[in-house]
Amino acid sequence: MKISIRVFASLRDFMVPSLELNLLPGATVGALLVELCRMYPPLDTAIFQSPGTVREFVNILKNGRNIHFLDGLVTALQEGDVIAIFPPVGGG
Amino acid sequence: MPLYWLFLPALRAIFIKGKGKYLAVMHMDAYVGTIAFADLTLGRVNVRPYPDEMKRKYLGGRGLGTRMVADAITPETDPLGPNNVLVLASGPLTGSGVPLGSRYEVSTKSPLNDMLISANSGGVFGWKMKKAGFDALVVTGKANTPVYVYLNEGTVEIRDARPYWGTTTGETTEALKNDLEDKDARVACIGPAGERLSRIACIINESSRAAGRGGCGAVMGSKNLKAVVATGKVPIRVANEERFNVVKDRIRKKIEENGICQGLHNYGTAILINIINENFILPVRNFQKSHAKEADKVSGEEMARTILKRPKGCYACIVQCGRVCEVDGQPGEGPEYGSDWALGPDCGVFNLKSVAKAGFLCNEMGLDTISAGATIACAMEMSERGYLQEKIRFGDENAVLNLLKKMGYREGIGNELADGSYRFALHHGHPELSMAVKKQELPAYDPRGLQGHGLAYATSVRGGDHVYAYLISPEVLGAPQKLDPYTSEGKAGWVKTFQDLSAAIDASGMCLFTSFALGADDYADLIAAATGMPIDARELLQIGERIWNVQKIFNLKVGYTKKDDTLPDRLLTEPLKEGAPRGRVWQREPLLDEYYHLRGWSEEGHPTPQKLAELGL
Repeated sequence: MKISIRVFASLRDFMVPSLELNLLPGATVGALLVELCRMYPPLDTAIFQSPGTVREFVNILKNGRNIHFLDGLVTALQEGDVIAIFPPVGGG
Repeated sequence: MPLYWLFLPALRAIFIKGKGKYLAVMHMDAYVGTIAFADLTLGRVNVRPYPDEMKRKYLGGRGLGTRMVADAITPETDPLGPNNVLVLASGPLTGSGVPLGSRYEVSTKSPLNDMLISANSGGVFGWKMKKAGFDALVVTGKANTPVYVYLNEGTVEIRDARPYWGTTTGETTEALKNDLEDKDARVACIGPAGERLSRIACIINESSRAAGRGGCGAVMGSKNLKAVVATGKVPIRVANEERFNVVKDRIRKKIEENGICQGLHNYGTAILINIINENFILPVRNFQKSHAKEADKVSGEEMARTILKRPKGCYACIVQCGRVCEVDGQPGEGPEYGSDWALGPDCGVFNLKSVAKAGFLCNEMGLDTISAGATIACAMEMSERGYLQEKIRFGDENAVLNLLKKMGYREGIGNELADGSYRFALHHGHPELSMAVKKQELPAYDPRGLQGHGLAYATSVRGGDHVYAYLISPEVLGAPQKLDPYTSEGKAGWVKTFQDLSAAIDASGMCLFTSFALGADDYADLIAAATGMPIDARELLQIGERIWNVQKIFNLKVGYTKKDDTLPDRLLTEPLKEGAPRGRVWQREPLLDEYYHLRGWSEEGHPTPQKLAELGL
């Protein structure tokens, strides 16, 4: 299944701003992130505090909804989903 | 530092010989200890000591200004009449040397909505006002001809400003500094919009930092006050330097290590464009949409890649979220997120260069970028719906630039737009198209997908506003913890705490952005070390609550009631159409009742006698 990925701010130093990945049905957000970090190794420390633990203030959205309020890293993906990944950002 | 210094405020001051005729008092409690008064009707100035009881109850900045304005005017006072009062006040931490301790506040009765408001600005002016020997300046009356107030080493003068009247903020600033032959002087002034009493005119210091909301620039204009100039080298001393340095180092480390603050340095506040857009809560075309495919074109990332020359900070800032940009050879500062949104996506414009130019123009005119952009967006929707004769179309970036000029000089349709969207839409028979709360335009976050932030909008004591309680932090950014933006549970308590803490931070002189990294304990520790007053986090929040209630009481007397604590109908009845929050509206109940209850107010939103007694009001 095709998943669209968009990254922002300092994460664009490590990879292209957007891309599409083909994942096996049943893949999760966590599996997608592992695959991304394999493709772009510097992403790993930017996103993860430790394996399986996302850094403080990093926000990952699935179709506009923060995965924190879904099932976290085990949130299931479906064909056509859009995943947006943000390093810590703020303002006012 | 001897212990008795903490308990005997009068001893925390020593007399020093000031420059010229004034014998200054050097306080050892982070205040310089004096307030300047300028009566422009009589042409008289006065210098009075800073009342000690005000320090403990209101700290300074927004607290001092709010109290002084509330005491000096009535709810019936004409905001553009000579009886209105304008207070420019720093806080005890302004210029104390703590990182991000740079802010000053402008408090007055708003000509936009008649509320008792405070508008916050950074830059260097707040620090410079203290170096000039004053914690605050209080302006009353109206001069017969244009004047400026000159603060220098403990002296205050009213001077002729006729040569500067009619010039833009940048021209005024440069001319005053040149004429005074003082490159270190700092200038807070109005532009053509303030001179023409635009109700959305702001005060600009250092040519680009704005005390933006509520029309305080028009209050200056109504007094024929073109500018305030501050210069001098009066020392600022804290009460317990050893302790202050320890707390300061702790705070510096927290800010430096905070990921959000690091992002602000690299991309500025416009870094928010993408995350707000991806959450489907970016208001587009006057809140008709909440998402735009083109949003990245006006993002902080795009700015860093194209027009950014360098980051810039306020006094003692280690974050440096300000942007120095250049567009087609024209240098300028900004746009910040709120300006970027209002002059960009809200007007359907996604050309960053044009948005930046519009921001530069607002600075020169002395127009509040949020209200100016949102008012144009309102006019665009009215035009597209056929409610106006003028053809003003969303996405027309040249129309935005032209209208801003017309607003600044009150030419043509700009004459009407210069008073904000509420009056404009009402005049043309469609007040429902003004996306404003209590006549002030809403900022850059659609509350239909943000239940807590919506409550902050509805209850803000200065009308549509986001910095009196920035619930975006927990509801979108995840700081200090992630809160589900779609639910109401517990949000009333969060809003109250954020409102009280923000009021206290505004009173202290610290930048609100420190709250991404610091908690109430940190601010209390800083204030205690700087002032010698043994204030803890609980007392700090109570100071904020006191300030909030003073503003609320005044606004109730003006006539704002429970029915006004709400949002525009569109946000209550027209569900979002896109993305995860699709189908949502802002739900007023039971949030509002719960909020009143937590505030200790009646069911109608009036502070109870018990609450007033508790706060010493």
